[in-house]
Amino acid sequence: MGKIILKVNNLNTKYITRQRENIFAVNDVSLEIEEGKSLGIAGESGCGKSTLALSLMGYYFAPLHYISGDIIIDGKNISGMKPDDVRKQILGNEIAYIPQSAMNALNPTQKIISLIEDVIHAHNPKAAKKDIYDLAKERFELLGLPSEVLQKHPVELSGGMKQRTVIAISTILSPKVLIADEPSSALDVTSQKMVIKMLKSLMQKGLIKSMIFITHELPLLYNVTDDIMVMYAGQIVEKGTAREMVFDPMHPYSKGLMGSIIVPEAGSKNRKLIAIPGTPPNLKHPPEGCRFAERCRYVKPECKMNGVPLKKFGEGRMYRCICSIEELKEAYGDE
Amino acid sequence: MKGYKKYYTKKIIWYVITLVIAVILNFLLPRLMPGDPVSAIAARTAVGMTSQTAIQKVYEDYVKAFGIDKPIYVQFFNYITNALKGNFGVSFIYYPRTVSDILARSIWWTVCLQLPAIIVGWLLGNILGAVAAYIKGAWDKAVLPVFLFLSNMPAFGMAIILQFFFAVYLKWFPASLGYGYDMIPNLSLKFIGSIIYHYQLPFWSIVLITIGGQAIGMRSMSIYELNADYVKYSRFLGIKDRKIVKYVFRNAMLPQITGLALSLGTMVGGALVAEMIFSYPGLGTTLLSAITGRDYPVISACTLIITIMVLIANLIVEILYGFIDPRIKAAQQE
Amino acid sequence: MNNLLKQVFRSSRFTIGFVIFIIMFITIIFYPLFVRDDPLAMIGGLFNKPGTYISVSDVLNTDYIDLKIDTSAAKLKSISIEDRQSMADWLVKFGNIKKSEININDIAALVKLWNENYSAAAAQTGLLYAEKQQYIRLNNQINKLINSGDQYIATKDDNGQLVEKDPVSPRAFVNSKDIINKKTFVLGTDNFGRDVLTELVAATGTSLKIGLVAGTIATFIGLLLGLLAGYVGGTLDDFILFITNLFTVIPSFILLVLISFSVGQSARGVMLTASIIGLTSWPWTARSVRSQVISLRNRDHVNLSKLSGHSLHKIIFTDILPYVASYVVMAFILQISSGILSEAQLSMLGLGPATTKVSTLGLMMNWAMQYKAPIAGAWWAFLPVILAITLISFSLNLMNTGLDQVFNPQLRD
Repeated sequence: MGKIILKVNNLNTKYITRQRENIFAVNDVSLEIEEGKSLGIAGESGCGKSTLALSLMGYYFAPLHYISGDIIIDGKNISGMKPDDVRKQILGNEIAYIPQSAMNALNPTQKIISLIEDVIHAHNPKAAKKDIYDLAKERFELLGLPSEVLQKHPVELSGGMKQRTVIAISTILSPKVLIADEPSSALDVTSQKMVIKMLKSLMQKGLIKSMIFITHELPLLYNVTDDIMVMYAGQIVEKGTAREMVFDPMHPYSKGLMGSIIVPEAGSKNRKLIAIPGTPPNLKHPPEGCRFAERCRYVKPECKMNGVPLKKFGEGRMYRCICSIEELKEAYGDE
Repeated sequence: MKGYKKYYTKKIIWYVITLVIAVILNFLLPRLMPGDPVSAIAARTAVGMTSQTAIQKVYEDYVKAFGIDKPIYVQFFNYITNALKGNFGVSFIYYPRTVSDILARSIWWTVCLQLPAIIVGWLLGNILGAVAAYIKGAWDKAVLPVFLFLSNMPAFGMAIILQFFFAVYLKWFPASLGYGYDMIPNLSLKFIGSIIYHYQLPFWSIVLITIGGQAIGMRSMSIYELNADYVKYSRFLGIKDRKIVKYVFRNAMLPQITGLALSLGTMVGGALVAEMIFSYPGLGTTLLSAITGRDYPVISACTLIITIMVLIANLIVEILYGFIDPRIKAAQQE
Repeated sequence: MNNLLKQVFRSSRFTIGFVIFIIMFITIIFYPLFVRDDPLAMIGGLFNKPGTYISVSDVLNTDYIDLKIDTSAAKLKSISIEDRQSMADWLVKFGNIKKSEININDIAALVKLWNENYSAAAAQTGLLYAEKQQYIRLNNQINKLINSGDQYIATKDDNGQLVEKDPVSPRAFVNSKDIINKKTFVLGTDNFGRDVLTELVAATGTSLKIGLVAGTIATFIGLLLGLLAGYVGGTLDDFILFITNLFTVIPSFILLVLISFSVGQSARGVMLTASIIGLTSWPWTARSVRSQVISLRNRDHVNLSKLSGHSLHKIIFTDILPYVASYVVMAFILQISSGILSEAQLSMLGLGPATTKVSTLGLMMNWAMQYKAPIAGAWWAFLPVILAITLISFSLNLMNTGLDQVFNPQLRD
């Protein structure tokens, strides 16, 4: 077992809306990533996966607010740190973020090199411009990006190039953890491939030590990440290796989610495509009991009574259901 | 640099065409009106004149100025040649002073009043708007209606209120004119002091009017930009909030510059009327007395010169904009 | 629809603007029902102060009652600070009174000292003749104020002889309710002696009409050009865009001046002025409609309509217009307020409606300025007019920003 790079214990965060309502978007999330590994997070839109990505950064601003929990990066707990220290010491250095849409992620009136200067100066005010340029040029070339990009404005770059530039800027300080929030969803297939290739090469070249990849496209996760976590209504409902999660999901929700996709593997043609009926619960007033109960095919009366804890089984796998593994297997076996 | 050249050539050509059309309009509009406008104007000018020779003189001047008997394209040609030479004819009410002589003085008063006032108002308005967007909360809530109210007050309204309150009621500043009525223009300290003293009320009334509209525009642009994706991303890159705020305000400012170019005409119109309130010796007052005195040559020259000034100001704003916004350059290189 | 209205009225800005506007509108409609006077009747004098004017003859013919009130003390308070100061100066210089004995805030004591010491015949070395005269006038004024003797009113008898009636004591009062002939000018009178309030209400109505006509014309032209340019595109778009840009850059104020002057005074009525304003202010609307239509042009529902072979006007009326409607309404609101403002500016130049039958806000301003109301201190002749223009424009703009917040949620902060 490798060294643990990122450990998150019982993280809770919420949104406060303009109407002063609380939306509990991340609920009691715990996870671990080892050095050299990548973790995929999957779920429907609005399940809290993007919020989780923001929350993991440990740097909160309105409307997102921290409630409780620990984020430990390489043995260092960043939850208790002052926001400005997090900004200076952690963001970019230890943990970095790639936004959902690179289209508008770059300041339109700034050259790429100037943004990189600002990033590096934010952590090391004394860095010389020349050194920054050399570093940026070297890094861009290493990642297969033309160094002319540095002297350009974002409008002069194509969508795919913009996304790859964003990735290069985010990882310019070689962070230990990279959080990529649907980095490829808005792109065409070719650009998507290049982005994935780039992320993989970042890992291979040791520029980042671990990665969290968030998407609603499950086949992508299967191809990119080592482990997969499924989120529902702000909670983790199941965790396992990519293979286990795709071919042997346990939680009824994961089962439904995997059932609704096509995995390009032999034999998948014979699988039925099933959609999950209903909509996720309102997180302003999350249900008392199991959050999936309303939509679950195998729901029992006691499901709606009490909250369900995350249970471990197998080799490092987890699921959140009151039924035992045997009961679930039996239920699925009927089909 | 290639991109810039293309952009500027395009802009300049466009403005030249606009200028030509503005000149044609200035020439044609009075002549397009039903009836025989020239004799009507001449007749109106002659109303109240008792001396036969004076009336005769008016008609002769009109015949000369308009070339009534000639076809319209010849009239236009004469008009252009004369305008290029700076010859706009002779004023009727200040006979025998030439129109160019009258305007040559008032132009500078207007430029020196309106240019600084609009720039200062624009800057202050943008700063206040940006601050309101950034601070939000109670301050913003209290200040916004004030801006809104200010921006809806007509320029002459603000001018009259300032005149009444500071000149008539408090007697802090003079109520009218550009310098002491008992003074002869010279370069003495006393005269310059008098100019500055008379400058305050017209200046601040234009500034205050400009502030309101600019502040509202800047406020909503800044709010829009503060919610932009790049703000969130830049924060996660660890960039200081202060630096990000700089990005935001720079970006919010850009549409404000284009907005300035677009609304310059309206602003100048309002400011001219404000000038009149203070009998400031600029183009506004000249225009008013020309209209009251039906002094057609002066009116025609005034409208032409104001149009040209607005066009030049617009062109300058657009040229500056091209330097500030990199997107312009990028767009030209495609 | 109902839902939309609810959403619109949830915006506090829209609601405030709407309430202000409706209050003004109701006043315009109902005020003339209660005050039936001709708004342009010249009943007063040049810039009469606001207040109630009571017939003096009626006062004399009403029965008096004596009230135990010292009327002269109250009247003395009307002596201005400047006059009090110059009284004190005179007393110190020529009346041998120490400065410490004088308190200009205690007017009764000051007047007492003045009466004991002042003499026009005293040697006032160092004073100019004019200054001496001024003190004499001041003295007369004070004497008039403190005169507490009875006053007599005389009438002519049958022979043409003056006959004294009973003396009127300074403490005689009449009940203002007993006076039949009185006139209240809430906002005084203007330079022609017209009741400013009544005139203002009528003028606001006319100006609103001008705004509506100008706004309708401008919106119609702007909408038409914007739709054509945006939907048809191509050369037509280039051409319309060129014209639009042209008229945005050439100051519309200048065009207004040129056209209004050329039209001539005899032809320039209220409606013509409104039309001229409308004809020069469409570019803004054309611009915003065009950009909206361009963004709509390639939407799925429009393409579907095109593929279904719908005619151009059907596509425009069912697939485009409903989507730009909110922008058109917003532009229309702004056009109304800018039309009112343009009329005011034109009128101030003397190029407004040439009519004596109705008044507009601009004409009221023009007259107030021609008779130098601000210099004369007649604030009632111009402040209410400025306030009326500002309030109309303020309320319309508030409605506009309120609508903007509802339709462009990104601005919701």
